[in-house]
Order: sequence, then C-alpha cells, then structure tokens
Amino acid sequence: MNWGVRAVSIVAAVGFCFLIQTVSLGFGADIQRLIALAGLYVTLAVSLNLINGITGQFSIGHAAFYMIGAYTTGYLSIQFLKNSGMPGPVWLLLMMLAGAIMASLAGLVVGLPSLRLKGDYLAIVTLGFGEIVRIIVVNSPFDVSFFGVFKFFTFPNLGGAYALDKIPAIRELWLIWLLAVVCIAVCRNLLKTAHGLAFLSVREDEVASLAMGVNVTRIKVTAFMIGSAFAGAAGALLAHYETSILPSTFAMDVSFIILTMVVLGGTGSITGSALAAITLFALPEVLRRNKEPVTGGTFLAIVIGVIAAVVLIRWFQNEYHGSKNKKTAGYFASVAASAIVAFGLTFALNAIPALHDKAFEGSKLRMVIFAGSLIIVMLIRPEGVFAHHEFSWTWLKKVLRIKPKSEALAT
Amino acid sequence: MVHQLLPIAAVDFNTLPQQLVLGIGIGAVYALVALGYTMVYGVLKLINFAHAEVFMLGAYTALFTAWYLGFSPQSLQALERESSWLNLLIMLLASMVICAIIGVIIERFAYRPMRSQPRIAILITAIGVSLLLQYGGALFLPVSPPPSIDERVNPYRGAYTITLSRPSDRLLGQKEELERQYQESNVAFEKQLEKEKSRFDLSPQGIALRNAKQEAERALRKVTDEIAASGRELKLPRGQMIMLGATLILMLILRHLVLYTRTGRAMRAASHDFDTASLMGISVDKIVTVTFIIGSALAGAGAMMQATFIGTPLTTFYGVSLGVKAFVAAVLGGIGNIPGAVLGAMVLAIAETLVVWADGSKWKDAIAFVILIAVLLFKPGGLLGSSKVEKV
Repeated sequence: MNWGVRAVSIVAAVGFCFLIQTVSLGFGADIQRLIALAGLYVTLAVSLNLINGITGQFSIGHAAFYMIGAYTTGYLSIQFLKNSGMPGPVWLLLMMLAGAIMASLAGLVVGLPSLRLKGDYLAIVTLGFGEIVRIIVVNSPFDVSFFGVFKFFTFPNLGGAYALDKIPAIRELWLIWLLAVVCIAVCRNLLKTAHGLAFLSVREDEVASLAMGVNVTRIKVTAFMIGSAFAGAAGALLAHYETSILPSTFAMDVSFIILTMVVLGGTGSITGSALAAITLFALPEVLRRNKEPVTGGTFLAIVIGVIAAVVLIRWFQNEYHGSKNKKTAGYFASVAASAIVAFGLTFALNAIPALHDKAFEGSKLRMVIFAGSLIIVMLIRPEGVFAHHEFSWTWLKKVLRIKPKSEALAT
Repeated sequence: MVHQLLPIAAVDFNTLPQQLVLGIGIGAVYALVALGYTMVYGVLKLINFAHAEVFMLGAYTALFTAWYLGFSPQSLQALERESSWLNLLIMLLASMVICAIIGVIIERFAYRPMRSQPRIAILITAIGVSLLLQYGGALFLPVSPPPSIDERVNPYRGAYTITLSRPSDRLLGQKEELERQYQESNVAFEKQLEKEKSRFDLSPQGIALRNAKQEAERALRKVTDEIAASGRELKLPRGQMIMLGATLILMLILRHLVLYTRTGRAMRAASHDFDTASLMGISVDKIVTVTFIIGSALAGAGAMMQATFIGTPLTTFYGVSLGVKAFVAAVLGGIGNIPGAVLGAMVLAIAETLVVWADGSKWKDAIAFVILIAVLLFKPGGLLGSSKVEKV
C-alpha cells in the first residue's frame, strides 16, 4: 500500500466520523445516545477481539477495564476540569489517554498471571478481577489499613453503589467513532506486520511459537495492555457522555455480552466483531421500543417455527450431500417453509382461548430473543457469522465481479 | 484475652464458633452446586453456565411442591396442622428429579449438537441457555412479588443449644439477688403509683422509689451483660443440621457411585481421556447424560435446602451469585476433582463467614475471588488438582 491510499483512508475515516456526527444531529437525544453507545461497543468488541480472538487468551472480564477507564476519568474530571480551564474536546482527549493508561496498567496486572494460567483458569481470573474492581467501587470510600491499625490512605469516594454523578458533560460523537475506527485500524495493521503474526502464532500453538523464538509472555501481556487501553479510553468517553455512571453498568453480564459479540462475529475477525457489536447492541434496543403485546399463540408459533428452521438447516448441513448451490437453496427453502408453518400456526394457536388471552409485553421479550438468537447462531454457525474472514477491497471486487489488476493483491 | 491485645475493633472471639457453624451450613449448599460444575467440567471441559439456572429452577420446583402440599399463600391462613418430614422428603425428591430432567434436556438439545465445535462456541451456547432460562423463566414463573417457601413447611425449626462454658456461680448468684431486689423495688413503686395523681407528676416519696427501681434495673442489666459475655453458647439451627446431614448422605452416595460402580468407573475414564474412553467401548453419550443427571440432581437438592431452610425470596436470578461462587469453589479445589469441589466450597464458605465476623461484610463477595486468584497464582491447578506440564 502506498502513501496515497493511506492518506485517502485516513481522510475517509475522519470524514466518516464527522458524517456520523452530522447525521446524528438530525435525530433526538435518545437516538444520538444509542449511536454513541454503539460506537463504544464497537471499540469494546474489537479490543476484546485482540485479546480473545487474535491472541487466543480467554478473557471474560473486559467490562472491568471499561469501568476503570470510566471511573478514573470521571473522578478526575469532577476534581480538576473546572480549574484547568481547558476546552472540552482537548480535555476529553487527555482523559481518554488517562483512562487508557490506567486500564492498561490494570491489563498488565491481569496479564501477568496469564503467564501461568491457561484457558478456563485465566477466564476465571479475569472474571474474578472484574468482580473485585466492581466491589471496590461499590464499597468506596474506605480506609486502606492493616487490620485497622496502620492507616495508609483513604480510597476516594466514587459514589459507592449509587451513581458517580455530576461528571461534566463533554459529548463528542465524532470522537467516539474515531476511537472505534482507530481501534479497528490498530488491530488490522497489527495483523499485517511481523508482530501481528506473533500474536496469531500464540493463539495457534503456544509451545510451537515459543520454539520459533516468539516471546510468548511479552505477546500475551502486550495484547492485554493494548486491548484494555482501548476499553479504558472507551470508558472515558462513556463517563463524559452519560455524566453519571453506576457500578451495575459494568456488571458481569456486560462482559458476557462483549464476549458474545466477539464470538458471534467470528473469533479473530475484526469485521465480524465490529458488525456483531452494532447488531447485538441494536437488537435489544429496537425490541425495547416495541410496546405491542404479543399473544401466547403468536409466541408459541414463532418458537415452533424457529425450532423447525434450526432443525431443517442443521439437517441440510450435516446429512444432505448435494452440491453447494443445492445446499444453499435448501437453507432458504427450510427458512421459508418454517416461516409458512409459523404463520399458519399463529392463526391456529390463537384460536385457543387460553393461548390467546395470555399476552407478553414486547419489551419483556427482548432478552429472551437475544438469548435465543445467540443459541441459534451457535447451533447453525458455530464459527461465528464471519468466521475468520475479513472485509477487504479484494473481496468486494470479487463479489462485484471486478477482476483484480494483479494476482499479488489477492489474500 | 486475645482481643484486648489486638486492636481489632469488632472482632469478638466468643461468637467465632457460632459463625463457623453457619459457614459450614452455607458450605454444604456451595458444595452441592460445585459438584455439578466440577463433574461436567471433568467430562466435557465445559463451564456449564446454565447450572446456576438449573439450581434456580430447582428452588422453584420446591416452591411449587410446597404449594401443592398445602403450604401455598392462599391455604396458609386456614392451615392448622403441622408439617412432617415426609413433606420435606417429597420436596427434595421433586427438586432432584425435575432438575435432572432439565439438565438432560439442556445437554441433549444445546450442548450435544455442539460437541465437535471449538470450546468457546459451546461456552457461548451455555451463556445463551443461561440467559434464556433467566429471562424466559421470568415470563412464566411468579417473580413479583418474589415468592418464598413458607417456613412452616419445615417441622424442624428452632435450634439446639450447646453450652460451651457456663458463667461463674458468683455471677449467677449476684443475678438472682439483683432480680429479687428489682422485683421488690418494682412492687413498691407500683404500690406508690396507685396513691399518686399521675405517672408524670410524682411526690418526693414516689420519685425516690422510682430512682431506686431504676438503680436496681441498671445493676441487673449490667450483670446480665456480664453473664452473656462470659457464657458461651453454640446454637445449632435444626434446619442447618438437616442440611448438613442430607449433604453428607448425598456425598456418600456419590462417592459410592463414582468409585464402586461400572458407571462411575466409566465416568472417571471419560473424565481422564474422553476420546480414548470412547475407543475402549464406553458409550460416552450415556456417560455425559449420567453426569448431567447426577450434577443437576445435586444442584436440585441444594436448591431445595437453600430455599426451604434459609428461605430467601425466589426470582429467576436466584442462582446467579451462588452459581458464580460455587464455580469459584470448584476451581479453587481443582476443577474436575470431586473431593476438591467439597473442600473448595467449605474453604470459601468459611472464609466468607469469617470476613463477615471480622466486620467486613461489604467485602464478603470479593473474598471468594481474592482467595481464588491467590491460590491460582501459587498452585495453578487448584488446591487438590494437578496442573499438567505440557510436553511436546
């Protein structure tokens, strides 16, 4: 790639961020907030993908780094922003740096035990670390002392179980999306270098890469530090966007949701993580707005239809030995058939009074649909939607039947 | 006295044995749930996140069984008869059976189709099943207001009291004497009160009598406190004793099953090496099903006992925090190791009660993870587990 393409990419990226900002100004405040949060989730998912998907270190405590970034910068802004007299965006950039540094120090602390632990054990340590961070914030302020004898210092008041509020509001949508873009760019460019190959080799086989001269320890800790730094910067942006943050915003299930985004998008695929983050964030939000009650008959019919579709698709995947095109046609046919069955059943089941009278609120169903779609995607495509594929211009040209100019470009 | 030498403010060594008894009771439930995690992990190498939800459904099964047996909120006003041990047994068996069925269903339809897939995909499925049961359950189960099992279903309420050390005879004699004095002054004051106009407008004689009465009361209270401080009693709640006994019996059955039956041997073989076990003619599908049956039934037993004898209100998130702690207990003891899970659960529960005892109740939930990280740093395989060195 030459400098011209690079410059165009950078300009396009920054332009894209300002475009989002301009477009979102046309919507109400709640939609703007959703766009901002979607950007933060993209950052979180892509940065976890660096630890989890690319380096293969199983971390399920990513919300802890997000939390450290948010609380550090929230506290600093409350204390010092008024006196500093700095303009908002500059201060926000400074805070992003501060959040990133604090979170990456925490990443160092978590990364060090990863030298001894593997797989699920590491997962549990990261989970435990997340919980410890949350409990420390919930219990603040407290005195750090040796059994009440020697008092070292007092941990600052971070609002305890209630909110840390009155954080000065600095809402820069373009900065949020710029962070997401930068995060994607760093991960993508890392993979194109020799260092990036070292990350991948650690994921594939630790012992073999050790034998090839890769410093496995350093790679693991670096992955943790880079990943958590981005999460910390995202936390800084969240704190200044929301102006009030709660410990429960960063509970264990947030970590699980970020992990789900990574796995659902395809472990190791940056494109997948980013798109899955947007989709999975939007899905419950869209469902939350749906106030229309769903009758028991419709609900049951949809459940039966979905189960039928999953069973049929799995049959075509595992038992049917036709050509690729026939298989694809089979998938579409099974989806269509189950949709028709579900549609028919809706009328049949709603005729039963007991099912017709039982109604579910649409907003209460949102987490059920979320969990259901998780299981379904895992059942029919366990490697994630994008598997290990990435979006690239070469791929786009192939799809659009434009012949590449040279064979060397093909990846 | 130790606690006078150490400047630890809130630590009272007299209450320590009592706290330990409570800790062991909590540890029994942790152990039952941790066994399910550790057995499934041993065979499938899967963190079964849905196990906590199996526990939750077990608690609800116990609740519905209790309602069916006539202890529902509607029938309780008219209820006169006492419950019997048979009711408890029925609830226990119902929870265990229903949980076993749910565990098998989850394994058959969510985990088995994924078995050849990478482990992270199965893990995400487990998280999905867990979320589905939490939120889907909330659509059908009673959650608001959170119902709880009426304590009258348990005929064994109250506690056995064991006196560890009696207060000195001198103090007891003093107390008797002061009690007599207090009664006398009280009677005298009441007699005087009849002559007075009102309780708030006393003659000088009345005031003197009142002061004498208050003096006697104060002295009596002081001696009573002294007696309470010097005498040590151990209260053994009868419900918790049943819990411990039942857990012990279940553990013995489990031990017999795992060590001395063909199924148990097959289970241990599958846990040791899944692929080789299947080559040796072990039907691994059957073994996985049996593992889920045993693990889920134990969780059901734990859920029934927790919901009945401790009696916290039920929601569909009932299992979440306990599930995480039980899993931490399993890892602490060395995951895949059955005695390790029990040991880890006991260590964890006792550590938690000790933290509460030392006036750190707000750190109660953190201590589990602190111990876990500390142990894993020095012994990466857990307390009883062996960490294998990878050989090339």
